[in-house]
Amino acid sequence: MTALIKLENVTKHYGTFQALSKINLDVKEGEVVCVIGPSGSGKSTLIRCINLLEEYDLSGKIIVDQILVQKGKNLKNVRAQVGMVFQSFNLFPHLTILKNVMLAPIKAKGLSAQVAEKIAVDLLNKVGILEQAEKYPAQLSGGQQQRVAIARALAMEPKALLFDEPTSALDPEMVGEVLDVIKNLATTGVTMIVVTHEMGFAKQVADRVIFMDAGQIVEQGSPIEIFNTPKEVRTQNFLKAVLNH
Amino acid sequence: MNKSSLVVFKVILLCFIWPFISLAQNTESPIIVGANIGNVPWEFQDTTGKFVGFEIDLVNEIGLLLDRKIEIINIPFNGLFAAVQSGRVDIAISSIGITEKRLESMSFTQPYYDSDQSLTTVKGNGIESLNDLRNQIIAVDTGSTGDIWATENKQKYSFAEIRRYEGLAPAMLDVVIGRVKGYISDIPALLYYTKDKPNLVVVERIPTGGRYSLMMGKNKPLVSQANKAITSLKLAGVINDLHAKWFGALAEDTTSTVRVVPMPATDEGLILDFVDTFLNTDVFMQTYPMLIAGLVVTIQLGFIAIIAGLIFGLLFALSKLYGHKAIQVAAKAYIDIFRSIPLLVLLIIIFYALPFVGLSFSPFNAAAVALTLVSGAYTAEIFRAGIEAVPQGQFEASEALGLSYKNTMVEIILPQAIKIVIPPLTNNCINVIKDTALASVVAMPDLLKQATQAQAVAANPTPLIAAAVIYLMFLLPLVLWVSRLEVKFRRGSR
Repeated sequence: MTALIKLENVTKHYGTFQALSKINLDVKEGEVVCVIGPSGSGKSTLIRCINLLEEYDLSGKIIVDQILVQKGKNLKNVRAQVGMVFQSFNLFPHLTILKNVMLAPIKAKGLSAQVAEKIAVDLLNKVGILEQAEKYPAQLSGGQQQRVAIARALAMEPKALLFDEPTSALDPEMVGEVLDVIKNLATTGVTMIVVTHEMGFAKQVADRVIFMDAGQIVEQGSPIEIFNTPKEVRTQNFLKAVLNH
Repeated sequence: MNKSSLVVFKVILLCFIWPFISLAQNTESPIIVGANIGNVPWEFQDTTGKFVGFEIDLVNEIGLLLDRKIEIINIPFNGLFAAVQSGRVDIAISSIGITEKRLESMSFTQPYYDSDQSLTTVKGNGIESLNDLRNQIIAVDTGSTGDIWATENKQKYSFAEIRRYEGLAPAMLDVVIGRVKGYISDIPALLYYTKDKPNLVVVERIPTGGRYSLMMGKNKPLVSQANKAITSLKLAGVINDLHAKWFGALAEDTTSTVRVVPMPATDEGLILDFVDTFLNTDVFMQTYPMLIAGLVVTIQLGFIAIIAGLIFGLLFALSKLYGHKAIQVAAKAYIDIFRSIPLLVLLIIIFYALPFVGLSFSPFNAAAVALTLVSGAYTAEIFRAGIEAVPQGQFEASEALGLSYKNTMVEIILPQAIKIVIPPLTNNCINVIKDTALASVVAMPDLLKQATQAQAVAANPTPLIAAAVIYLMFLLPLVLWVSRLEVKFRRGSR
């Protein structure tokens, strides 16, 4: 089976600073990959390259569903296939919750308003926010906003979802409700790459865990391999630091 | 600061202080004379920048007789009336004709020059007399005797339009450009002005029986003192000598340049107080239609400039932010240039200079273009700031959803940016409407122009006060609205 998302030799420089260094990664369809690692290790940069929110150096290649990710006509198709959920939600503050979810299917996919609304209502129901559909983002809690953001990404019916530290901006009591939604998603067969600091969550849902440091993939494997028997010293040190505080 | 620049600094400082030192030495307060400098040969600047001319000489002679120092200040013709009435100047000169209207609120000394109006045009443009001006546009000075005559005779000669300028030089420039066919103004000034310009010609004398005199505040003691001085100067032949000096020949004996004539009787019994001067109901009712006509022009001009400026501004803001490199540079250049250039300068360039490269605008269009260019530059910066104030995450979320650039802008960014920019945009609109008043210099009959003309014709500043009230009436609500919005948005953003 070919990979849905394929990174070949991906490097990314900000000026002289190297954020990613020769990353090779295949993500199969339906696979749930969690990316862990210290701050500044390049985790976010990695997934932001996949939908080209960050441009990567020309020496590398990213292929999503057999389309090369680069500027131009095809980028729209890539982005339609790959949904993204941000740390800071980034809901559109001038639109209602319902409109936030309906907008992209109408504007980017050309669906009619009725069809888009039906999809949006279904998804809001699924993430448990349907009662708030006519409210504006600022009227919702952080956890609720993040659930709306997930529904918004799902409305495009993407093949893959990218999560960029989806719970890092949340108050602790709201982390659970968002993680529950993501866990449920993981069982639906959608491909996911989740950058996270929630080790328990990663252990539970990941098919594969990737540990990154200094712009490199240091080690990868099943949750049991990474969390119970890490091979690399850097992985061991990192896990020691985050699990024993 | 090194030593030599210190010396330069001291010299400059001395230059500024010098006039005050010399003023302080003169115990008697000087007579302040307001003059429309540039009105040849009555009052103008010679090549060294000194004020010279027939009337300058005359007031200096009067100053000598009265043993008072004379101080000349430069005031445009249509500003002289308010300057006298408010007491900012003691005497106004500028070949001001005695009219009954003016005598209602001003005093004049006996006249010292008999004049008529005249028609001046470019040689060989087919205009030989007033009768050739049917359906043509003519030029006058705002509120002058020529303006009054042309307005009264507009129907008789079927003038298409009377354009009102702020003095001889801009009016004649437009005659040369050809946008107006003739200039109606005082004959002595035009004979003097055209004598060394072979392409210009005074083609007709228009007998109006005008008589020039010194204009002063109503029944001020200085009026009779100055009148006596003029009598003495006439008897001594001094004024006729001035005539010879400035016109090359002595005046005829029957003229008021030579003969002592009675002082024109000021309307007695009616000493105008503050209310009659500045809030005169009769004058207001009389000039109200003119002001409303001006208001309509102001609103039209403001509206066009604001809408076009918004479109321009948005396009340039987007070009500067997201255009190709060359377009970005061009947009930045446009924005920087038009924010730096004073609107008045731009107006004058567009109206008076562009015709020489084949681009001739009507006054309204010239004003609309200038206002739009400047307003567009400011609006662009406002939009740019507004767009940049939308968080980066909004762009990313929109892009990540696969929305096109256009959809991102139209659906996501601009709706948020517009809320941010509404207060500064409204402020800009207020400025544009206020700036329409500058279009007076290109002979456009906006509210201010109509008001200055009305006050010169009525010899009463009430129309200016009325214009101020009208500006206030429709700008003040906007100003208050912006303040409310700003408070509201500040609360909204916590």
